[in-house]
Amino acid sequence: MIKLTIDGKTIEVNEGTTVLQAAENADIYIPTLCHHPQLTPYGGCRMCMVEIEGARTLQPSCTLPASDGMVIRTNTEKIIAARKFVLTLIFSERNHFCMYCPVSDGDCELQNRAYDEDMTHWDLQPNWLPFEVDASHPFIVLDNNRCILCRRCVRACDDLVGNYTLGFEERGANSLLVADYNVPLGESTCISCGTCVQICPTGALIDRQSAYQGKETEVDHHLGVCVECSVGCQRDVLTRDNRLVRIEGDWDAPLNNGLLCEKGRFLPLEDDRLRILTPMVRKNDQLKAATWDEALNAIADGLSNSGKLAALASSRLPAEDLSLFKSLFKDGLGADLVTTLDESFPLPMDKVKSKIGISIEYGLDNLKDTDSVLCLGADLLSDHQVAGFFVKRQLLGGTKLIVVDSHKNALADFASQTQSLEAGNEIKFLESLISAFENSSEDPDLNQMVNSIKEAQKPCIVVGASFAKGIDETTFQSLIEIAEKFGAALISIQGKANSYASAELGLTQLINLKDYQSALVLLSDEEPTQKLAKSLEQIPFVVIQATYSSQVTANADVVLPVTMWAEQSGTYVNLDGRRQKAVKALDAPDGILTSFEALQKIADVLNIETDIDWEAELVK
Amino acid sequence: MTKPTVASDWLCGCAGCHMSILDIDERILQIVELVDLRATPITDLKEPDEGGVTVGILEGGINNTYNEEVAKKMRARCKILVALGDCAVFGGVPAMRNFFGEKAALQRAYVDAESNDAEAMIPVNPELAEMTHVRAVHEVVPVDLHIPGCPPDPDVIFYALAELAQGRIPEIKDEKLHWH
Repeated sequence: MIKLTIDGKTIEVNEGTTVLQAAENADIYIPTLCHHPQLTPYGGCRMCMVEIEGARTLQPSCTLPASDGMVIRTNTEKIIAARKFVLTLIFSERNHFCMYCPVSDGDCELQNRAYDEDMTHWDLQPNWLPFEVDASHPFIVLDNNRCILCRRCVRACDDLVGNYTLGFEERGANSLLVADYNVPLGESTCISCGTCVQICPTGALIDRQSAYQGKETEVDHHLGVCVECSVGCQRDVLTRDNRLVRIEGDWDAPLNNGLLCEKGRFLPLEDDRLRILTPMVRKNDQLKAATWDEALNAIADGLSNSGKLAALASSRLPAEDLSLFKSLFKDGLGADLVTTLDESFPLPMDKVKSKIGISIEYGLDNLKDTDSVLCLGADLLSDHQVAGFFVKRQLLGGTKLIVVDSHKNALADFASQTQSLEAGNEIKFLESLISAFENSSEDPDLNQMVNSIKEAQKPCIVVGASFAKGIDETTFQSLIEIAEKFGAALISIQGKANSYASAELGLTQLINLKDYQSALVLLSDEEPTQKLAKSLEQIPFVVIQATYSSQVTANADVVLPVTMWAEQSGTYVNLDGRRQKAVKALDAPDGILTSFEALQKIADVLNIETDIDWEAELVK
Repeated sequence: MTKPTVASDWLCGCAGCHMSILDIDERILQIVELVDLRATPITDLKEPDEGGVTVGILEGGINNTYNEEVAKKMRARCKILVALGDCAVFGGVPAMRNFFGEKAALQRAYVDAESNDAEAMIPVNPELAEMTHVRAVHEVVPVDLHIPGCPPDPDVIFYALAELAQGRIPEIKDEKLHWH
């Protein structure tokens, strides 16, 4: 332990603690600008200067390691003057005229620092050096005129996301934030994860969707889990007057640490599908608006036939809804098929583990400090992207990436070794992998693959949908054995937000609707596939619970309008078994029910008692 | 004891800050009880008294030689000079043209603008003041008090005027400090 004194307060901290962290521990506030808790200290802005007894000059506290006996002052006249001078230099360097800027008055860290220092103006004349604004990107506007050169965005793009798109050109006052080799951001390698926008302290990087739509003082926050895939990132949904304003990653979330991908951050605000605002019932071959009672009675009539009944639900729904769905259709109605719309199923790791009695790691956190990743049919650049960020950001540090896939896999471009696989040969591949592990193979590629996992300190095997489709449960157990042999973490990365809960509820049959007489689909806000639309065409009586109009609702016999993701709360289980809450952020339009409420109404009209102790069915 | 005197003028601004002065509403009666309101752009007397005033208030930045003159005259005739609003404090919206230059701004406004006809031309007349870079007031004359805001909140203006009227220098900070 190190003992030091800050502003007269003596505290003890661990070796390696910076002076800034030590001050934070002691509840002493030191203003910062270029510093961000998720980034490595950089020491670029000089806002956090402190006085150290015996030191010749003021020192930046963010990069200065605390040492034993240090006597530090954080708020002397000299320091305050230095801060004001630093701010004056920053303000006068570029176009920091706040009245032009959407983050002014509350959302700008630069302006807030000036307010903190009671700065009514700045004394230096501005530079009047104009930079071009880059508005080529669909979601992001890059305005170098408001940049303070803190490089938070560059560091986030490199160190958090591993995309290395942003960088600086030129030097000094001419420094220019650019994408790639100075191409328009919209034509660059940017993957639209938006981390740079979220981390920018000023208005240099703003998002088009929310600019001028509401400041911090005007918005409401709703912290919950993202429902766009099964990684389970925590995000903050910002609303104003019952309207989505912006989605941000939660910096304090233990899994995603503030990161989101395009699907979780920007795309939900781009949804322009046509909303269904009333129940509809088919009469004389035409779908007509109806009351809830008419629609529910039509469902009761339609389901009274004796044919086979299929009930399908989206794994984007909360566990409560899925459980009620199962209770109503499987236990209550005894439907012939009760499953989800998923086309592949996550491997319920904890169940399999306990069944075969071995212990392996399966958490997503393992990806954050792995030194070798074997990716089996998982394209982490297209889906489950935040898990892909965990891997990509380590590749320059020497982490090996091996991609084996039967499909085109965007991750292959970053891999140290790739192998294409013919679909259907997954089991064979696993067998050859096991034998290569035991007594080296004749195939040098396979040996190389095995060796890079064998030699790794913390290897990970990631199984994705395109691979898992080709293997059965026994083969999956051999996959677990491989993981155990290699001492690797096994991460089954597939499915939608709640596919894991669906699997735990046993809703894992593949859909085959041949000879079915009726079907009820809880589509919710999921976009139906062509395949689903086609297979439902054969069925005489189809009920769809959906948020948006689609081919599937157009062909249905009864349509029940339900809420979209932001209008409902509920529990989600991510792919490594974390139970997290999605939180209602918006009020639904009048007459729209949640899927849960709509299911209850169906249960009532069919006179079926439902047992919804959903928590008991999920593995703890 | 004679009341302190106050004069104001506007330069390259939009008159919004003076509107915000009027937005202190009936409280202006409290102010005139304390001070003698002299020249303002919205009253009959247009120039600060030659004998000088206690407080001079300027709205707007300085964008030509005429504004320079007005600012210098106000500075010469007042004890305490107040820069009121973002244009006076920073240059404000008119300062946007500094990024393009005066020539390009004139060309765009008088010649290239879509609403101009074929005979459009940049006005030339010796009577016209010469256009300059837009500057904050403190870049031309020393300023004693900056009240930023676009416009400054009427409550802040009332507070500042009330303090000045009673011989104190107002402290513009915390919730009173807003640039826009």
